[in-house]
Parts: sequence; C-alpha cells; structure tokens
Amino acid sequence: VKRIFAVALGVLTAIGGFVDIGDLVTNAVVGSRFGMSLAWVVVVGVIGICVFANMSGRVAAVSGRATFEIIRERLGPRAGLANLGAGFFINLMTMTAEIGGIALALQLITGIEPLLFVPLAAFGVWIVIWRVKFSQLENATGLLGLSLIVFAVAVFLLGPDWGALGHQALAPSVPSGEQPATYWYYAIALFGAAMTPYEVFFFSSGAVEEGWKRADLGQARANVLVGFPLGGLLSLAIAACAAIVLLPQAIAVTSLSQVVLPVVQAGGTIAFCFVVVGILAATFGAALETTLSSGYTIAQYFGWSWGKFRPPAKAARFHLVMIAGLIAAMAILATGVDPILITEYSVVFSAVALPLTYIPILIIANDSEYMGADVNGRLANALGLVYLVVILIASIAAIPLMIVTGAGA
Amino acid sequence: MRRVFDAQLHLLDRQVLDADGVPITAVDDLELSDVPTDTDLPRGAKAPVIESLLSGPVLGTRIFGGRPPASRWHRIPWSSIADVGIVVSLTAKGDELEVTWPERWVRDHIIARIPGGRHDPE
Repeated sequence: VKRIFAVALGVLTAIGGFVDIGDLVTNAVVGSRFGMSLAWVVVVGVIGICVFANMSGRVAAVSGRATFEIIRERLGPRAGLANLGAGFFINLMTMTAEIGGIALALQLITGIEPLLFVPLAAFGVWIVIWRVKFSQLENATGLLGLSLIVFAVAVFLLGPDWGALGHQALAPSVPSGEQPATYWYYAIALFGAAMTPYEVFFFSSGAVEEGWKRADLGQARANVLVGFPLGGLLSLAIAACAAIVLLPQAIAVTSLSQVVLPVVQAGGTIAFCFVVVGILAATFGAALETTLSSGYTIAQYFGWSWGKFRPPAKAARFHLVMIAGLIAAMAILATGVDPILITEYSVVFSAVALPLTYIPILIIANDSEYMGADVNGRLANALGLVYLVVILIASIAAIPLMIVTGAGA
Repeated sequence: MRRVFDAQLHLLDRQVLDADGVPITAVDDLELSDVPTDTDLPRGAKAPVIESLLSGPVLGTRIFGGRPPASRWHRIPWSSIADVGIVVSLTAKGDELEVTWPERWVRDHIIARIPGGRHDPE
C-alpha cells in the first residue's frame, strides 16, 4: 500500500507541477487567438518533455551526477560557460515571470497593486527554500496545483460545440485573420512553454537531492510518463476555455484576469477559489523550482557544494546565488515591467536555449563510462534523435519569427 | 594497480569531493612539475608529473587566456588524492583545505549569520 501511495503521490505532484505561469499564459493566449488549432504542439511538447526528463532523471540516478556538472565535463569550460550564461539568463527570466505570477494571483484575490506583493512573494520563496525539506515543498505545491483541474471542469460546464473544437484540434489550420508566421511563432512559444529547460536542471538535481538509485527508476518513469501527459491535458483545457469563451468575443489575453475569466463564467465563485489556489500553487511551485535551478546550475558548473539536503551553511555559495537571483528578479519587477510580457518572451527564449541542455544529456545518456549498462536503448535514441531535429528547428526559427511577427503582434 | 589517465579527459573539469563526499570544486587546471621551455630536452629527461590540482581564478585564464601569478594559485596537492573515478576523491576534509576559503568566507560572514542557516531543513 505504501508503494502504491508513493506512486500516486509522485504522479499527482507531476500533474500539479507541470503547469506554470508560462503554460497558463501561453495556452490562454493561443486559445483566444487560434482556438484549438495549436493543440498538436502541446502533444509534441509533452512527449518531448517526457523523453527529456526521463533521460536526465536516468542519468542522475545511475551516475549520481546532475546535468551541469556533466555539461562542463563534456563540453569543456568555455562552451560550458557559454551554456551556463544562456541557461542562467533564461532561468532568471522564467523566475522573474513566476514571482510576478504569484503577485498577479494575489492581486486577483485582493485587488491590490501586484508590485506591492513582489517582495512578499520573493521572501516567501526564499524562506521555503531556506527551511523546508525538498520532498515536502515538491508535494505541497504539486498537490495544491491540482486545483487547476477546475479548467477541465469548466470546459464541460461551458458546454462547448465539441465537434467544432475537435475539428480545430484534429484538422489544424491557420485561422482566418492570422498570418502563418504568427501561427508558427506561437507554435514555438507553446513548445517552449511545455519544454522549459529549467525542468531538466530541476529534475536531474532533484533526483540527486532525493538520492534516487537504479531501483527508483521505475517509479520515476511512472511519475513522468503518467503525470506529464495528464498535466498536458490541463494545458489543453486552459486553451479550450479560452477558445470557447474568449475567441468568439475577440478578447485578447493580456492579463491573468482574462485567463481565469472563462472559469469564473462557467463555475462562479467556487470555481474562482479553485483557480486562484491552483495558480498560486503552480506559480509558487515553479518559482521554487526556478530559484533552486539558478543555484544548481552555477554551483554545479563551479563544483561547489549544493543541495537542499544540506543545511544552508554547508552549501553557502549555493544559497548565496539563490538570494542574489531573487534580489535580481525583484529588481526587474520593480521597474514595473508587466510579468505577463516577461512570460511571453521567456517561453520563446526557452525554445531558443533548448539544444544547449538537450544535446549534452543525449550524449551522456549514451556514454557507458557514466551509465554502465543503462545507456540509452534503441527506442530512447530514436525518439531522442527525432526530438533533436524538432528542437533544433524550433530553436533556429524562434528569433527570426519573433522579428518578422513583431513578437506575435 | 597501474591505470593510465588522460589528464584532459579524466582530470580536467572533474568534480572534486572531500573525504565526506562533499563537493569542493571542479578541477579548474593542473600544475605540472617544471618543464624547461624554449630549449631542447636532454635525452632521457624525466617526464613531468602533476604536482597539484588548481582551482579558482585559474579557470578565468584557462577560458580567456593568460596565466595568473603563482601566488594566486589555489592548490590541492596530488598527495591528498584518494581516488580518480568519474569524480576525484580526496583523503582530507573540505574545511582543512586551503582551496575552500571562498566557501568558508561566504558561510562565516553571510549564510551562517542568517537565522536558521546552520539547521537542517525541516
């Protein structure tokens, strides 16, 4: 029974932890402009993150080494540093977006200017990282994040024209009034939102934090292969809600209140409570993950002591990096820049940076010095290579499309 | 047992762990015993040996070129190495090593002074 409970807990936290501010905003924006015609991208992205997370979790469990230690060993200090710079920058952007997301969710409840909540949100993230055990922080935010299921409930309550939604999803085409370039720009944004690189830093470092061994791989695989696809369904439900309510009225999503509007229309106050708790948990959980990732990447590159399983004094520079990161995120938000805007850019830059983390992992997963007999099998390598091509195309096309479309305007 | 190492492949950029398995640094560079430069080596000259692993500012010069003065080198003597595998293990504890001074400085002046800094997470 204990084992079943552990598997169930892992799957549930994976579902709740899948969605972050990037998924919330991007799916709602896409749903309100393109209906369900980009649903296939979510499917591609979810399979990609399954392949990717599974591989990095396996590398960490078998070799006991986290991603960035290996990136430096294999790419050398120079390419490793370039990789670290890009990875850290994009992670900081995502972190800023998540902390802004916490503030926006608190604004939804209280109506108070979100800037006032930023220091509170950053302090909350810091104190949890400072004092709370890794497994507890994972479980609490993951389980509370499950209240985002209200998006799926809302889809049914709204009683949509299922045939039309299904047709948009299964026979995708560029809606009239939208340029093909814009369609593809948002396809890349959605892909980047599903596959954000911090999840890989976090997943592989988390495996070391929790001391995974070969024997835990089965459960890890179950968490990923069941939890992430169900999390992807939540993403689709967010897009569907926007497609049902916002698209016909030509409402463009520019704030979090528009993301939750369809849910409130479907389920009233109770639905509103659920969605706010869900968004708070999802953004808070992702803020923890990105903040930890900022410490993980730098500490692992330089070989410093890191990890939440140690008291902070035993990983001093790791904690100092995270404090500095949180202060930087607060400083960015203090300029008054819109967190939604940061989110929209961060998912696209995530897509640009994907090959930087993906390629080293694929190489290591085939290196028997680290992996022994657990190197990639044929299926993992076949999928890995297909995704390598997809990721490279998305990465190369992202910036030109951003310029051509004026960032999807 | 004799084993052959490739310094580039098996030593440089490897993670260094102390006797308790705590990460100390990555191998930023190596210090070799003196090899005379710009002269022909005499026949039968001894091969240079690795005297110590280096860490710290030497990483910057390894990436961007140049060479810090020897006084800025932070050394881990080769004699304190217990094993070289996918990580380099030491026989000493981290606090006893000179190279850990930045970690100790940040700990003693910042992190340990914040309430709860020395406690295990709960």
